Amino acid sequence: MNALIFTTILGIIILYLGLTKNKKILAPAGIAGLLVTLFLSFNDWGLGSAYFHNMVVFDNFSIAFNISMIIITIVIFLFGIDYYKMMEFHVAEQYSLMVFALVGAFLMTSFSNLIILFLGIEILSIPLYILAGGKKFSFKSNEASFKYFLLGSFATAFFLFGIALVYGASATFYLPEIKTYIAQFKGNLPPMLLIGLLFIIIGVAFKVAVAPFHFWSPDVYEGSPTLVTAFMATVVKTAGFAAFYRLLGIGLLPLPESLEKALWVMTGLSLLIGNLVALKQYNFKRLLAYSSIAHSGFIMLAMLSQHDRSASVILYYTFVYSIASVPLFIIFILVKRASNGLDHLKAFQGLYKKAPWVAVFMTILLMSMAGIPPTAGFIAKYQVFILSISQGYLGISIFAILMAVVGIYYYFNVVREVFTDRDHLEPLVITKLNAGLIIVCGIAVVVMGIFVWHLPI
Amino acid sequence: MILLVILLIPFITGLLLLPVRNAATVKQLALASSLVNFLATLSLVFTFPVSGYSVSWINSLGVNFALGYDGISLIMLLLTSLLFPFIFMAGLKREQENTNYLYALILFTQSALIGVFLAQNAFLFYIFWELTLIPLYFILLLWGGDGRRNVTFKFFIYTLTGSLFLLFGIIYLYSLTPGVHTTDFSAFSQLNIPVNTQVWLFWVLFIAFAIKMPVFPFHTWQPSTYTMAPTQGVMILAGVMTKMGIYGALRFLFPIIPAGVLYWQNTVIILSLIGVVYASVIAFRQTNLKTLIAFSSMAHISLMVAAMFVLNYYALQGLLFQVLSHGVTIIALFYIVMLIEEKTGTLELPQMGGIKLLAPNMAILFLLVVLGSIALPLTAGFVGEFLIITGLFQQSIWFAAIGGITMVLGAIYMLYAYQRVMLGDKKVGFGNITDLKPVDYIVLIPLITIILVLGIYPQPVFNLVEASVNTMQNLLVPVADVLPALPL
Repeated sequence: MNALIFTTILGIIILYLGLTKNKKILAPAGIAGLLVTLFLSFNDWGLGSAYFHNMVVFDNFSIAFNISMIIITIVIFLFGIDYYKMMEFHVAEQYSLMVFALVGAFLMTSFSNLIILFLGIEILSIPLYILAGGKKFSFKSNEASFKYFLLGSFATAFFLFGIALVYGASATFYLPEIKTYIAQFKGNLPPMLLIGLLFIIIGVAFKVAVAPFHFWSPDVYEGSPTLVTAFMATVVKTAGFAAFYRLLGIGLLPLPESLEKALWVMTGLSLLIGNLVALKQYNFKRLLAYSSIAHSGFIMLAMLSQHDRSASVILYYTFVYSIASVPLFIIFILVKRASNGLDHLKAFQGLYKKAPWVAVFMTILLMSMAGIPPTAGFIAKYQVFILSISQGYLGISIFAILMAVVGIYYYFNVVREVFTDRDHLEPLVITKLNAGLIIVCGIAVVVMGIFVWHLPI
Repeated sequence: MILLVILLIPFITGLLLLPVRNAATVKQLALASSLVNFLATLSLVFTFPVSGYSVSWINSLGVNFALGYDGISLIMLLLTSLLFPFIFMAGLKREQENTNYLYALILFTQSALIGVFLAQNAFLFYIFWELTLIPLYFILLLWGGDGRRNVTFKFFIYTLTGSLFLLFGIIYLYSLTPGVHTTDFSAFSQLNIPVNTQVWLFWVLFIAFAIKMPVFPFHTWQPSTYTMAPTQGVMILAGVMTKMGIYGALRFLFPIIPAGVLYWQNTVIILSLIGVVYASVIAFRQTNLKTLIAFSSMAHISLMVAAMFVLNYYALQGLLFQVLSHGVTIIALFYIVMLIEEKTGTLELPQMGGIKLLAPNMAILFLLVVLGSIALPLTAGFVGEFLIITGLFQQSIWFAAIGGITMVLGAIYMLYAYQRVMLGDKKVGFGNITDLKPVDYIVLIPLITIILVLGIYPQPVFNLVEASVNTMQNLLVPVADVLPALPL
């Protein structure tokens, strides 16, 4: 709770720091504040404190996810120092909006009442609508912002409608009470409740970009400023899946068969659409957008397997995925700058000649995304498969494995470009800080693959 | 502990080589480390058996870092550590770009290969199995010949697809282990898996190995990859990687799903024999020397796979012997191919001829290697293939007959190729071909000596694998009664 309050204040402080016209202090101030938040979160570990009539519960699950999101945000802020160097105005707003989005994310990991989930999603989303349009004079950025806003509010409406229907049927917003209420029907839900639950699921599925509610994500990922895309792909995704797991894994599962079937279909579709469409993407950000849909499919698989390890596996998966994604976005930005704004995969050509060590780390990061040993990404997928296979879902596991092959295909397509020659090589400018970030994240990905952690959450 | 040392020597040498800029130093150090590794591996033969090495790695996933070996692993380890010095020597006195990176990658591959042969835990096995692929992929991609961009990609995706099925199989077996789940081989082999499950599980596990070996019809990555690979890369691929597939099949299929093996036994033997004939016929039609040898290698490997699935005493002895013999022969062959390409600038058979007149010593050594490859008596190839045919004969006379064809066809296309390259009139433009350099003798003479010595006195190898062969061949006996109707 202290972490939540402090983060809110931090956002306001950063906003006011912007008035000093001193851009240089913004990121350090934000990072210092986030470190304090990290400390406060650690302090809450194991307490399991609940607030506001149990509407918000800061148990180990939520704290673990919060900590992982704070770490990723710190990495993104560190990257921001270089990214926002050219930007003249409104830098403070960018940082503070991200902090505000983080507040929403904290609420999403810790709700036990649907109203709080709604609040969390809105607090997370509204800053993102603004952030997506961060490049005011870029057509694509405006398009991204507008699209995200329109579709996002549409999904929110669905979600709110769903809450209303569920409330109408069960007369409560509390998850445990809803679960007991559902249980009494023994699978034969009244239509109002069924539709309500379905709408709630659709609302959350939209936020985490699970197919078939993924249509916004490639355009928004492509158009948004890359730093914001990195934030969406990592922190927002983590928050979304924490919320999803809290809603279903901790909250409502096992659901009636029809709803679970819908969820399995969503899993299969995400794996299929994400991976297959990614094959034909030549814009790096769109590629990562589709691959992130595919990753959603894997995380769904872990969630629906309903094992007592699922939460820990999802945490591991999202964290490993995030820690590999952010440096990939950094490298992309650097390469894009070096090749005059080219965002085709071809921009990576010749990278191994220009900066061999960047090429090596990029390979490691992509290996982790693709799930190849000895990286953490492999362990993450391995754990997902362990859950799904040991729970007996053999068919979808085989399907997921086939889709993982497709994933390896398009990720190594990028690796192949990195190690392909190009005639004229533009120099690649890398600040020491960015270099450090890439190296640290690359090493972290390998180290987490060797020293595998498992939290009892 | 010595097992850990053997595993780590190449890896650490590889790391140390990364910053070294002087190409000659790199090559000498790599060679020295591989020789030390060979001696260490050889010491295993005399102190057999050495106790394994095991520490807990990932508790929550039941993974132990467990190393150990038996007679079969020992043959594989010996082969690996024997061939790598020659693979390094193939680079001596030759210009190579970025030598330090190339040699570091080769050393990493070696480490991973040793890991595959030592692993006593399926998860660990899988990690090493994949790790062999990553450095090799980059060796092929960065130092390969024409068309490497697409060929290596196909190779990579192809083999990884198989591996992921293996991964599924491992996780499935893991979920079957009683009590606290584990991925130790010892636990897997004690599982009592229902026959119906074994029947489908067989293909899940086998595909990875079938692609690696490769068995018909999973071979389509092989010829193009071999043809464009740099010499040292193709030596690793043909000399050791193929054996990795055989080793994996022996380690996974027979002890864990014997009923599945028995059920599909004849199917796989027939597939392999189709592969034998198919590869031999296609080899005959090749005009590129390297592609021809690639297909000949496939024919030999397919015969070994057939022997493996017959699984009687002779076939297994022959198989393990042939593992050594094929490894040594194929490395010698590819070394000579490299020499020919250096000297003539081409590998196309129609453009060659008459090299014997210019390089008589090379012609003699090449002939000896070719004779070893076509299994002439008194060469190692003969011992191995003779035993394999004997083993096939015990299963069915037709298997033996078709298997025997490979020896005849092999003789035809190898001698034909030899004739086109070495004999006949001297081609215009070949005037400046020189004979072998001292370094070439250093590589070829020992290899040919091994081929001949093993051909004349094969007994030590048999003694080494005797115990393991006896264990292996008894695996299938108890399950023979419980099988459902066979498909063939």
